[in-house]
Amino acid sequence: MSEAASSEVTEVAAATSSQDPEVGLAAVAALRGLVEVLEALQVENARAKGWSWQHIAARLGVTKQAVHKKYAARRFGFRR
Amino acid sequence: MAQRNEHARRVLDLGRDEAALLGHRYLGPEHVVLGTLRDGGSAAARVLRVHGVELVTARAAMRRLADRGVVPGPRPSDAELLGSLGIDLAAIRRTTEQSFGRRAVGWAIREATRARRGGIGRVPRTPLRDPPVLVTQALYHAGEQARAVGHRMVGPELLLLGVVKDIQTPWPRCMKNRWTRQLHASVGLPERYRGAAGPLLATFGVDLDELGAALMAELLQAVP
Repeated sequence: MSEAASSEVTEVAAATSSQDPEVGLAAVAALRGLVEVLEALQVENARAKGWSWQHIAARLGVTKQAVHKKYAARRFGFRR
Repeated sequence: MAQRNEHARRVLDLGRDEAALLGHRYLGPEHVVLGTLRDGGSAAARVLRVHGVELVTARAAMRRLADRGVVPGPRPSDAELLGSLGIDLAAIRRTTEQSFGRRAVGWAIREATRARRGGIGRVPRTPLRDPPVLVTQALYHAGEQARAVGHRMVGPELLLLGVVKDIQTPWPRCMKNRWTRQLHASVGLPERYRGAAGPLLATFGVDLDELGAALMAELLQAVP
């Protein structure tokens, strides 16, 4: 990372700790974007390994209906 | 959509770079104009300069447009935002691709960002994907123009002509949906954003018909 870029990061970090909602909310949105992709990856992987919806839901800490509603219909694209 | 030649791809890359310099987290037609000027070596850049549009003044004009709220002001990148939370985006990208493979990560990205009824768990954008490209309409028009003049590849001139046509043509209805609105909002664009190349060229008093005609003249001179 270049020096200018890293100083910018420090600046952003400082802005976050100063509780600027503009930066704080954007950071949360970025985090959510990351989480949704990781969750899709892990659920797909678990299903491919033969895990039941109930098992997956228990590990994610949600009901099996919730995880089924969210992912059952989506599993037609990728196959290993 | 016609294929872009190496020169056009370089112009787009420079456009991405100009967007990053402005702190913009998307690629819009306005950045293509800046990229054309930054590259400087094309007939398209020459035509722009003849119309009084230079890189330095165009960058300044973009900053004024940001002040007016036509385009967003500088915003931190996803990597910086996540870094502020102590999360290393590059490391996550590396480890997920190592454990699951590129194809699986690409699938998960599409799934997480795909428009769907109900929109359960759907995000407009993910840090794992490159900033959104909002020049598809300009690229479409560039391809149409390429066909019209019998060019097989889209170069910088056709690219800029595509941007001009994009300004002159209202966006199709399929672009006016809540997914597009959410995507625009997620990179800080105002709701009325339809590409800012128009407002940018307007600050220089450029006549779009004239600019288009000049580009067309250059194209017809060149060997297809």
